[in-house]
Amino acid sequence: MRRAFNTLVVALFALLFASIAVTYTEQQTLPQLAAGYVKLIPEELGAPNVITGILLTYRGFDTLGEVAVLFMVAAGLGLVLGDSTRRRDAVPAESGAIVPSTELVRNGAAILFPLISIFAAYIIMNGHLSAGGGFQGGAIIASSVMLLLLANPEYLVDHDFLGVTESLAGVLYVLTGIAGLIFAGGFLDSRMLPLGQFGAFFSAGAIPIISVLLGIKVGCELSVIIDRFRG
Amino acid sequence: MTKLVGSFLVLLGAIFLFSAGLGMLRMPDAFTRIQAGTKASTLGNMLVLIGVAFYHPDWSLKLLIVVYFVLLTNPISSHALGRAAHAIRIPMTRATVTDALRDARDTDRSAS
Repeated sequence: MRRAFNTLVVALFALLFASIAVTYTEQQTLPQLAAGYVKLIPEELGAPNVITGILLTYRGFDTLGEVAVLFMVAAGLGLVLGDSTRRRDAVPAESGAIVPSTELVRNGAAILFPLISIFAAYIIMNGHLSAGGGFQGGAIIASSVMLLLLANPEYLVDHDFLGVTESLAGVLYVLTGIAGLIFAGGFLDSRMLPLGQFGAFFSAGAIPIISVLLGIKVGCELSVIIDRFRG
Repeated sequence: MTKLVGSFLVLLGAIFLFSAGLGMLRMPDAFTRIQAGTKASTLGNMLVLIGVAFYHPDWSLKLLIVVYFVLLTNPISSHALGRAAHAIRIPMTRATVTDALRDARDTDRSAS
Protein backbone atom coordinates (compact mmCIF):
# COMPACT_ATOMS: atom_id res chain seq x y z
CA MET A 1 0.00 0.00 0.00
CA ARG A 2 2.68 2.40 1.08
CA ARG A 3 4.92 1.35 -1.74
CA ALA A 4 2.16 1.93 -4.27
CA PHE A 5 1.59 5.38 -2.82
CA ASN A 6 5.28 6.22 -3.04
CA THR A 7 5.41 5.05 -6.62
CA LEU A 8 2.40 7.19 -7.41
CA VAL A 9 4.01 10.28 -5.85
CA VAL A 10 7.26 9.69 -7.73
CA ALA A 11 5.34 9.19 -10.99
CA LEU A 12 3.40 12.42 -10.43
CA PHE A 13 6.61 14.35 -9.75
CA ALA A 14 8.17 12.81 -12.85
CA LEU A 15 5.16 13.93 -14.88
CA LEU A 16 5.37 17.44 -13.42
CA PHE A 17 9.10 17.88 -14.07
CA ALA A 18 8.87 16.21 -17.47
CA SER A 19 6.21 18.70 -18.55
CA ILE A 20 8.44 21.56 -17.37
CA ALA A 21 11.50 20.13 -19.12
CA VAL A 22 9.63 19.47 -22.38
CA THR A 23 7.91 22.83 -22.63
CA TYR A 24 11.03 24.80 -21.64
CA THR A 25 12.55 26.85 -24.42
CA GLU A 26 15.59 29.05 -24.06
CA GLN A 27 14.67 32.70 -24.48
CA GLN A 28 16.58 34.05 -27.43
CA THR A 29 16.11 37.74 -26.65
CA LEU A 30 16.11 39.63 -23.36
CA PRO A 31 12.84 40.95 -21.97
CA GLN A 32 12.32 44.63 -22.63
CA LEU A 33 13.15 45.78 -19.10
CA ALA A 34 16.33 43.67 -18.88
CA ALA A 35 17.45 44.86 -22.30
CA GLY A 36 17.00 48.44 -21.14
CA TYR A 37 19.18 47.91 -18.08
CA VAL A 38 21.84 45.98 -20.02
CA LYS A 39 22.13 48.96 -22.38
CA LEU A 40 21.74 51.68 -19.76
CA ILE A 41 24.20 50.58 -17.05
CA PRO A 42 27.44 50.39 -19.07
CA GLU A 43 26.56 53.77 -20.63
CA GLU A 44 25.37 55.62 -17.57
CA LEU A 45 27.39 54.03 -14.73
CA GLY A 46 30.39 52.63 -16.62
CA ALA A 47 30.11 49.22 -14.93
CA PRO A 48 30.39 46.05 -17.07
CA ASN A 49 28.62 44.06 -14.33
CA VAL A 50 24.98 45.03 -14.72
CA ILE A 51 23.85 43.37 -11.49
CA THR A 52 26.31 45.29 -9.32
CA GLY A 53 25.22 48.48 -11.05
CA ILE A 54 21.59 47.81 -10.17
CA LEU A 55 22.28 46.66 -6.61
CA LEU A 56 24.68 49.42 -5.60
CA THR A 57 23.33 52.42 -7.47
CA TYR A 58 19.72 52.15 -8.62
CA ARG A 59 18.78 50.04 -5.61
CA GLY A 60 21.49 51.18 -3.23
CA PHE A 61 18.94 52.20 -0.61
CA ASP A 62 17.44 48.72 -0.77
CA THR A 63 20.90 47.20 -0.25
CA LEU A 64 21.31 49.41 2.82
CA GLY A 65 18.08 47.89 4.12
CA GLU A 66 19.38 44.36 3.49
CA VAL A 67 22.54 45.09 5.45
CA ALA A 68 20.41 46.54 8.24
CA VAL A 69 18.43 43.27 8.31
CA LEU A 70 21.71 41.36 8.64
CA PHE A 71 22.73 43.67 11.48
CA MET A 72 19.43 42.99 13.23
CA VAL A 73 20.00 39.23 12.84
CA ALA A 74 23.41 39.59 14.51
CA ALA A 75 21.98 41.73 17.31
CA GLY A 76 19.01 39.39 17.81
CA LEU A 77 21.27 36.35 17.98
CA GLY A 78 23.36 38.16 20.58
CA LEU A 79 20.21 38.73 22.59
CA VAL A 80 18.96 35.15 22.30
CA LEU A 81 22.16 33.16 22.46
CA GLY A 82 23.90 35.51 24.88
CA ASP A 83 27.55 36.30 25.30
CA SER A 84 29.42 33.18 24.21
CA THR A 85 32.55 34.03 26.23
CA ARG A 86 30.62 34.08 29.48
CA ARG A 87 29.06 30.69 28.82
CA ARG A 88 32.37 29.09 27.90
CA ASP A 89 33.78 29.99 31.30
CA ALA A 90 30.96 28.11 32.95
CA VAL A 91 31.93 24.85 31.20
CA PRO A 92 34.82 23.12 32.96
CA ALA A 93 37.87 23.28 30.72
CA GLU A 94 39.12 19.78 31.55
CA SER A 95 36.04 17.83 30.51
CA GLY A 96 38.21 15.41 28.52
CA ALA A 97 35.70 14.99 25.70
CA ILE A 98 37.31 17.75 23.61
CA VAL A 99 40.11 16.42 21.44
CA PRO A 100 42.42 19.27 20.47
CA SER A 101 42.93 19.75 16.74
CA THR A 102 46.20 18.47 15.37
CA GLU A 103 49.18 20.48 14.22
CA LEU A 104 48.29 19.73 10.59
CA VAL A 105 44.84 21.27 10.91
CA ARG A 106 46.05 24.35 12.79
CA ASN A 107 48.90 25.06 10.38
CA GLY A 108 46.73 24.34 7.36
CA ALA A 109 44.17 26.86 8.57
CA ALA A 110 46.95 29.39 9.23
CA ILE A 111 48.17 29.00 5.64
CA LEU A 112 44.69 29.06 4.13
CA PHE A 113 43.41 32.08 6.06
CA PRO A 114 45.46 34.72 4.18
CA LEU A 115 44.72 33.01 0.85
CA ILE A 116 40.98 33.15 1.48
CA SER A 117 41.26 36.77 2.62
CA ILE A 118 43.08 37.72 -0.57
CA PHE A 119 40.41 35.95 -2.59
CA ALA A 120 37.71 37.85 -0.69
CA ALA A 121 39.47 41.16 -1.41
CA TYR A 122 39.67 40.21 -5.08
CA ILE A 123 35.95 39.39 -5.21
CA ILE A 124 35.04 42.65 -3.50
CA MET A 125 37.31 44.86 -5.62
CA ASN A 126 36.19 43.30 -8.90
CA GLY A 127 32.49 43.60 -8.12
CA HIS A 128 31.93 46.20 -10.83
CA LEU A 129 33.87 44.20 -13.47
CA SER A 130 32.91 40.56 -13.02
CA ALA A 131 30.74 38.34 -10.89
CA GLY A 132 31.07 39.26 -7.24
CA GLY A 133 30.74 42.29 -5.05
CA GLY A 134 30.44 43.34 -1.44
CA PHE A 135 27.97 40.75 -0.24
CA GLN A 136 29.74 37.78 -1.79
CA GLY A 137 33.19 38.94 -0.67
CA GLY A 138 31.90 39.55 2.84
CA ALA A 139 30.54 36.01 2.96
CA ILE A 140 33.99 34.72 1.96
CA ILE A 141 35.62 36.76 4.75
CA ALA A 142 33.19 35.18 7.19
CA SER A 143 34.03 31.71 5.83
CA SER A 144 37.71 32.33 6.59
CA VAL A 145 36.79 33.29 10.15
CA MET A 146 34.74 30.09 10.35
CA LEU A 147 37.78 28.10 9.21
CA LEU A 148 39.83 29.64 12.04
CA LEU A 149 37.12 28.76 14.53
CA LEU A 150 36.89 25.18 13.28
CA ALA A 151 40.64 24.66 13.34
CA ASN A 152 41.09 26.23 16.74
CA PRO A 153 37.95 26.19 18.91
CA GLU A 154 39.65 28.33 21.56
CA TYR A 155 40.17 31.15 19.09
CA LEU A 156 38.59 34.28 20.52
CA VAL A 157 36.83 36.55 18.07
CA ASP A 158 37.28 40.20 19.02
CA HIS A 159 33.66 41.34 19.16
CA ASP A 160 34.53 44.93 20.05
CA PHE A 161 36.84 45.33 17.07
CA LEU A 162 34.31 43.74 14.72
CA GLY A 163 31.52 45.89 16.10
CA VAL A 164 33.46 49.14 15.73
CA THR A 165 34.65 48.26 12.20
CA GLU A 166 31.16 47.28 11.17
CA SER A 167 29.61 50.46 12.54
CA LEU A 168 32.29 52.60 10.87
CA ALA A 169 31.65 50.92 7.53
CA GLY A 170 27.93 51.44 7.98
CA VAL A 171 28.33 55.14 8.81
CA LEU A 172 30.65 55.64 5.82
CA TYR A 173 28.14 53.81 3.61
CA VAL A 174 25.38 56.21 4.61
CA LEU A 175 27.73 59.20 4.24
CA THR A 176 28.61 58.00 0.72
CA GLY A 177 24.92 57.82 0.01
CA ILE A 178 24.40 61.40 1.21
CA ALA A 179 27.40 62.53 -0.84
CA GLY A 180 25.64 61.02 -3.85
CA LEU A 181 22.58 63.06 -2.91
CA ILE A 182 24.66 66.25 -2.88
CA PHE A 183 27.10 65.78 -5.77
CA ALA A 184 25.02 63.65 -8.15
CA GLY A 185 21.47 62.61 -8.90
CA GLY A 186 20.35 60.84 -5.74
CA PHE A 187 21.08 58.67 -2.69
CA LEU A 188 24.11 56.44 -3.41
CA ASP A 189 24.38 57.72 -6.98
CA SER A 190 27.79 56.41 -8.02
CA ARG A 191 28.31 59.12 -10.63
CA MET A 192 29.68 61.57 -8.05
CA LEU A 193 33.16 60.34 -9.02
CA PRO A 194 34.46 60.28 -12.61
CA LEU A 195 33.45 57.10 -14.41
CA GLY A 196 36.95 56.49 -15.74
CA GLN A 197 37.81 54.10 -18.53
CA PHE A 198 35.21 51.40 -19.13
CA GLY A 199 36.41 48.04 -17.78
CA ALA A 200 39.42 49.41 -15.88
CA PHE A 201 40.10 48.52 -12.25
CA PHE A 202 39.42 52.06 -11.01
CA SER A 203 36.26 52.89 -12.87
CA ALA A 204 32.49 52.99 -12.56
CA GLY A 205 32.48 56.01 -10.26
CA ALA A 206 31.91 55.27 -6.59
CA ILE A 207 30.80 51.64 -7.05
CA PRO A 208 34.16 50.15 -5.88
CA ILE A 209 34.07 52.31 -2.73
CA ILE A 210 30.50 51.27 -1.93
CA SER A 211 31.49 47.67 -2.66
CA VAL A 212 34.39 47.78 -0.20
CA LEU A 213 32.29 49.33 2.56
CA LEU A 214 29.57 46.75 1.98
CA GLY A 215 32.11 43.91 2.00
CA ILE A 216 33.61 45.04 5.32
CA LYS A 217 30.20 45.46 6.89
CA VAL A 218 28.84 42.10 5.70
CA GLY A 219 32.07 40.30 6.61
CA CYS A 220 32.01 41.65 10.18
CA GLU A 221 28.31 40.92 10.65
CA LEU A 222 28.51 37.35 9.37
CA SER A 223 31.65 36.69 11.46
CA VAL A 224 29.80 37.81 14.58
CA ILE A 225 26.82 35.61 13.64
CA ILE A 226 29.08 32.56 13.16
CA ASP A 227 30.81 33.21 16.45
CA ARG A 228 27.47 33.51 18.24
CA PHE A 229 26.51 30.03 17.08
CA ARG A 230 29.67 28.52 18.54
CA GLY A 231 28.08 28.59 21.96
CA MET B 1 49.96 16.94 -30.23
CA THR B 2 49.70 19.06 -27.08
CA LYS B 3 45.91 18.67 -27.25
CA LEU B 4 46.36 14.89 -27.39
CA VAL B 5 48.55 14.98 -24.28
CA GLY B 6 46.03 17.24 -22.54
CA SER B 7 43.12 14.97 -23.45
CA PHE B 8 45.02 11.94 -22.20
CA LEU B 9 45.72 13.65 -18.86
CA VAL B 10 42.06 14.67 -18.48
CA LEU B 11 40.98 11.10 -19.27
CA LEU B 12 43.44 9.71 -16.73
CA GLY B 13 42.14 12.17 -14.15
CA ALA B 14 38.58 11.15 -14.93
CA ILE B 15 39.51 7.50 -14.37
CA PHE B 16 40.98 8.38 -10.97
CA LEU B 17 37.91 10.42 -10.05
CA PHE B 18 35.71 7.50 -11.11
CA SER B 19 37.70 5.15 -8.91
CA ALA B 20 37.29 7.64 -6.04
CA GLY B 21 33.53 7.52 -6.50
CA LEU B 22 33.62 3.73 -6.75
CA GLY B 23 35.67 3.57 -3.56
CA MET B 24 33.16 5.75 -1.72
CA LEU B 25 30.40 3.35 -2.70
CA ARG B 26 32.15 0.03 -2.25
CA MET B 27 34.48 0.46 0.73
CA PRO B 28 33.21 -1.11 3.95
CA ASP B 29 33.68 1.61 6.63
CA ALA B 30 34.22 5.34 7.08
CA PHE B 31 38.03 5.22 7.27
CA THR B 32 38.59 3.19 4.13
CA ARG B 33 36.08 5.38 2.31
CA ILE B 34 37.91 8.52 3.38
CA GLN B 35 41.25 7.23 2.17
CA ALA B 36 39.84 6.01 -1.14
CA GLY B 37 38.07 9.30 -1.75
CA THR B 38 40.94 11.55 -0.72
CA LYS B 39 43.84 10.02 -2.56
CA ALA B 40 42.08 9.29 -5.81
CA SER B 41 40.20 12.60 -5.96
CA THR B 42 43.30 14.67 -5.16
CA LEU B 43 45.28 13.03 -7.94
CA GLY B 44 42.29 13.00 -10.30
CA ASN B 45 41.63 16.72 -9.76
CA MET B 46 45.27 17.58 -10.34
CA LEU B 47 45.47 15.52 -13.53
CA VAL B 48 42.30 17.10 -14.94
CA LEU B 49 43.55 20.62 -14.15
CA ILE B 50 46.98 19.93 -15.67
CA GLY B 51 45.25 18.50 -18.72
CA VAL B 52 43.19 21.68 -19.07
CA ALA B 53 46.42 23.69 -18.83
CA PHE B 54 47.59 21.94 -22.02
CA TYR B 55 44.45 23.16 -23.78
CA HIS B 56 44.67 26.73 -22.51
CA PRO B 57 48.31 27.61 -21.79
CA ASP B 58 47.30 31.15 -20.80
CA TRP B 59 45.29 29.77 -17.88
CA SER B 60 48.32 27.94 -16.46
CA LEU B 61 48.98 30.24 -13.51
CA LYS B 62 45.35 30.23 -12.37
CA LEU B 63 45.16 26.45 -12.73
CA LEU B 64 48.37 26.14 -10.72
CA ILE B 65 46.75 28.14 -7.92
CA VAL B 66 43.72 25.84 -8.03
CA VAL B 67 46.02 22.78 -7.88
CA TYR B 68 47.80 24.32 -4.88
CA PHE B 69 44.46 24.92 -3.19
CA VAL B 70 43.29 21.33 -3.80
CA LEU B 71 46.63 19.97 -2.61
CA LEU B 72 46.34 22.04 0.55
CA THR B 73 42.71 21.50 1.48
CA ASN B 74 41.80 17.99 0.37
CA PRO B 75 44.28 15.98 2.50
CA ILE B 76 43.91 18.24 5.55
CA SER B 77 40.12 18.09 5.55
CA SER B 78 40.16 14.30 5.19
CA HIS B 79 42.73 14.11 7.98
CA ALA B 80 40.43 16.15 10.23
CA LEU B 81 37.40 14.05 9.24
CA GLY B 82 39.25 10.82 9.91
CA ARG B 83 40.47 12.00 13.31
CA ALA B 84 36.97 13.15 14.21
CA ALA B 85 35.49 9.80 13.18
CA HIS B 86 38.12 8.02 15.27
CA ALA B 87 37.50 10.29 18.25
CA ILE B 88 33.78 9.51 18.38
CA ARG B 89 34.60 5.80 17.92
CA ILE B 90 33.04 5.07 14.55
CA PRO B 91 33.39 1.30 14.25
CA MET B 92 35.99 -0.10 11.85
CA THR B 93 35.45 -2.95 9.50
CA ARG B 94 36.43 -6.35 10.83
CA ALA B 95 39.25 -6.74 8.34
CA THR B 96 41.18 -3.88 10.00
CA VAL B 97 43.83 -5.33 12.29
CA THR B 98 45.88 -2.35 13.48
CA ASP B 99 44.80 0.97 14.96
CA ALA B 100 48.00 3.02 15.26
CA LEU B 101 46.19 6.12 16.53
CA ARG B 102 44.61 4.25 19.43
CA ASP B 103 47.92 2.54 20.24
CA ALA B 104 49.71 5.90 20.27
CA ARG B 105 47.05 7.40 22.52
CA ASP B 106 47.28 4.42 24.90
CA THR B 107 51.07 4.71 25.19
CA ASP B 108 50.65 8.45 25.80
CA ARG B 109 48.18 7.80 28.57
CA SER B 110 50.24 5.07 30.26
CA ALA B 111 53.38 7.24 30.06
CA SER B 112 51.79 10.25 31.72
